Amino acid sequence: MFDWVRGIPILSLICYLPLAGALVVVFGLKDPRTIRRFATGIALLDFLLAVPLWFAYDPAGKLFQFTEDGEWIPAIGVRYQLGIDGIALLLVLLTTLLGALAFLSSWSAIREREKEYYTFLLLLQTGMLGVFCALDFFLFYVFWEVMLVPMYFLIGIWGGARRLYASIKFFLYTLVGSVLMLLGILALYFVNGEGLLGFPGLGNPLTFSIEQFHRIGPSIPPALQLWIFLAFFVGFAIKVPMFPFHTWLPDAHVEAPTAGSVILAGVLLKMGTYGFVRFSLPILPDATRRCLPWVAGLAIVGILYGALCAMAQRDVKKLVAYSSVSHLGFVMLGIFALNGPGLSGAVLQMVNHGLTTGALFLLVGILYERRHTRQIADFGGLSAVMPRYAAIFLVVTMASIGVPALNGFVGEFTILIGAFDHAWWWGLYAALGIVLGAAYMLWMFQRVFFGPLDKEENRRLPDLSGRELACLLPIVALCFWIGLYPKPFFQILGKPVAFVVERLDAGLAGAVVSGTVPAAVAPGER
Amino acid sequence: MPEASASLRDALLLGPEALLAVAGVLLLCAGAIGRGVSRREAAWITGGSLALAALVLLEVRARTGPATFLFGDSFILDGYAFFWKFLLLAVVAVVVLLSARFLEPMASRASEYFALLLIATSGMMLMVSAIDLLTLWISLETMSLASYVLAGFWKREARSNEAAVKYFILGALSSAILLYGISLLYGATGTIHLFALARALPTVWAGGGWVAPLGCILLSAGLFFKVSAVPFHVWTPDVYVGAPTPVTAFLASASKLASFAVLARIYLQAFPALRGEWQTLVAAIASASMIWGTLAALTQQNVKRMLAYSSIAHAGYLLIGVLTASEIGLSSALFYALAYAFMTLGAFAAVIVLERGDYAGEACSDYAGLARRAPALAAAMLVFLVGLTGIPPTGGFFGKVFLFAAAVQSGWTWVAVIGVLTSAVSLYFYFRIAVFMYLTKDAREAREAPSPLRAPSLFGAIAVCAGITLWLGLYPGPLIEIVKRSLLALR
Repeated sequence: MFDWVRGIPILSLICYLPLAGALVVVFGLKDPRTIRRFATGIALLDFLLAVPLWFAYDPAGKLFQFTEDGEWIPAIGVRYQLGIDGIALLLVLLTTLLGALAFLSSWSAIREREKEYYTFLLLLQTGMLGVFCALDFFLFYVFWEVMLVPMYFLIGIWGGARRLYASIKFFLYTLVGSVLMLLGILALYFVNGEGLLGFPGLGNPLTFSIEQFHRIGPSIPPALQLWIFLAFFVGFAIKVPMFPFHTWLPDAHVEAPTAGSVILAGVLLKMGTYGFVRFSLPILPDATRRCLPWVAGLAIVGILYGALCAMAQRDVKKLVAYSSVSHLGFVMLGIFALNGPGLSGAVLQMVNHGLTTGALFLLVGILYERRHTRQIADFGGLSAVMPRYAAIFLVVTMASIGVPALNGFVGEFTILIGAFDHAWWWGLYAALGIVLGAAYMLWMFQRVFFGPLDKEENRRLPDLSGRELACLLPIVALCFWIGLYPKPFFQILGKPVAFVVERLDAGLAGAVVSGTVPAAVAPGER
Repeated sequence: MPEASASLRDALLLGPEALLAVAGVLLLCAGAIGRGVSRREAAWITGGSLALAALVLLEVRARTGPATFLFGDSFILDGYAFFWKFLLLAVVAVVVLLSARFLEPMASRASEYFALLLIATSGMMLMVSAIDLLTLWISLETMSLASYVLAGFWKREARSNEAAVKYFILGALSSAILLYGISLLYGATGTIHLFALARALPTVWAGGGWVAPLGCILLSAGLFFKVSAVPFHVWTPDVYVGAPTPVTAFLASASKLASFAVLARIYLQAFPALRGEWQTLVAAIASASMIWGTLAALTQQNVKRMLAYSSIAHAGYLLIGVLTASEIGLSSALFYALAYAFMTLGAFAAVIVLERGDYAGEACSDYAGLARRAPALAAAMLVFLVGLTGIPPTGGFFGKVFLFAAAVQSGWTWVAVIGVLTSAVSLYFYFRIAVFMYLTKDAREAREAPSPLRAPSLFGAIAVCAGITLWLGLYPGPLIEIVKRSLLALR
């Protein structure tokens, strides 16, 4: 019943609907209330447009579906190519859902310069969706960079006390990473064509097509692969962020307004891990294997370091921010296990982290709006005054630490299988990370919600409003769904994950067939 | 008389340049006679001459082949020259739009100002066609002399006088060095014609001796001065700050680009065989310009000064195109030159809008809260800043990508790495203005919002520049095609 989405440029619609909304907000609307409702309506509509993708996506069909292809800059072989596989599908759905919730959550939090706020938020949506939908590396890069500007302003204008510092730090870090990534993209582009730096090219027509890069991956000379891998690594690792590139994250997450934090943690961080899965692994299999010990080492350090830092925080939002470093380390470990369970667990965990951390930031934001503090020490015994709030917080906490029947468990468990499969001691460190995660989350929960209600200001805190519940309940429902019945998710991930693993194995065999099989496939053939 | 008719044909083919020069001289005379020429009339006459020159140029292009030599091989009309001529005409037309407001308090001198601008334009257009070192030098001087006077046009302003004197002394010195280099080259090879030089230099060079190398170095030094590349950049900040802002915009766009066009032509058409000798040098100068321009801009509080250092860094980016000595490199440089011209003009236009005689508009803090006072202006300025940083969707992004791609492809990866890193760092100072515009509240009492109605020409210019910047960032295809047809014959 959802096949009609195949007949229309559905991905373009999803990508540009927010942009169109932003234009309407800029040129057409004045009243803050109207803007608020209109923008949220657009975000919700975008989500509703994305939902049919879930039903129309054929897990057994082609790898990339809903593809669109058009000329953009023929002179240099840049095409306007969109398409999603199962991985991107989940991330598109996550982006549109969290986007809508972030809009809804901003109604009470943002009370000044609303027109600009919603404009930037809408532009950000377009940028993020474009990143996940692009099948042309150049197009991908354009969206990747375009997105930085609105995010910068979101943190810089509506952020906390140190917003100027946090916003420029975020921007500079990510920009440095992405420009180096650009050099890697250009190297790929030339090696597919005429060659560069003394490396012979493969002689294919110049293109930025990601599918073509997937094809030629194993035939790229290993030495060049390594350089390209490093260039990509800087770009993606800063975005993830991996230790030691993570220092922008606590600043940006803490200073950003709630919606900004939700989107940062929920979607932006996933772009880094998505980059590894989509580009580094399948295109550069040889370099991936060579760098594996280092990346895995950094991921493990990230898991433990993030967890220990989170444990030491007094500010709830900072705690959640550091927990992201730890969780993303987990995801990286799953990705670099280079096997089916590790990868599919990692992708699912990306979604899970988006949902739970998004929800945690929403919850922290709700509390901050009421009390204007986020210090753990300022609370205590809140479960008595805000029972509904406490209940939802509890569910999300449980999801975050990986309690069975909730989504976190499924993701972490699958990653653990992959990690153990790769090397038993990886699994050991990962398990240690889970224990630490449980410790800091539960300890925080205990200090905020239990104990005596001894602060006068906390006695009259109102419980969740209807709008706030509407923000949170969809996430809670999804947490249970993924936790209890993850099968459809794994089904969707099956083919793309198998593809990545197959490319990695082709890389191993690449030495034998180098330059013949993959390069002989003409671009455009599928 | 075949000879006379040939030179008549040549003169007609240089019609646009002649037209501009004559219009300039007539405007100068008309300004001195009787009641003179009003500011508005002078602007219209200038704009009209530029438009007419563009039309004539179109006609000339239609009537000439891929490469036509004029006046005994002194000038050439090739795709490369036409590209720059059209670009320069467009850039100067925008400068005319920018100048109207500045000339308000000195309306009686408007005719002089526009006359100088026309003569400088004529010089620049000859420059990009010149393939003989002497005609090249003469047209360069035509541009420079007019520019010196323009830089000091703010007669009662000490800074403007200082700028003019500094520019003149250093400029004259560099011209002298350039001329000395030309004479040495002539002494070594017996020719001043670029193509003949290209043929003669390799053997002379191989024969040893210091005359030819020194000649090349001195010639290069003079040209690097004009494009303000490190280490020949020291005049730039002071002159850019002191000169009236429309003139600064002119220097940073038209003057710099015309000089760059000449520099690229000399390196690629006169010294192509010595590529191995000069590539390292150009790489060093390009890198030094990118690094120093970026680092020095980081601490500037004055927007004009910041843009001056940014223009030094951009000279470095443009030089990457010469460095690669490849078609892709040169076409990238042409693309970037066009994008850069309009971004820079737009940024200076925004400075002019905020200027009110008391140096307002020059301090970064004058931009505080601009997003509230004048959201459209702030948005346009944001487009220029994003473009200068090299972030999509702007022409600056594509230009930089093309340049870095050319560098990577031709093996100058380390230059590309320096380029991308300085671009990333440049975000810091470009976005400091964005910080003031969007993130800071107006500290002083709310100043009146600059109104488009009070200065329609300025806002028109800004809209055009922003439009071009975005257009190049969203759909650069057509320009790439144009650029590809405008390349030098590389050998």
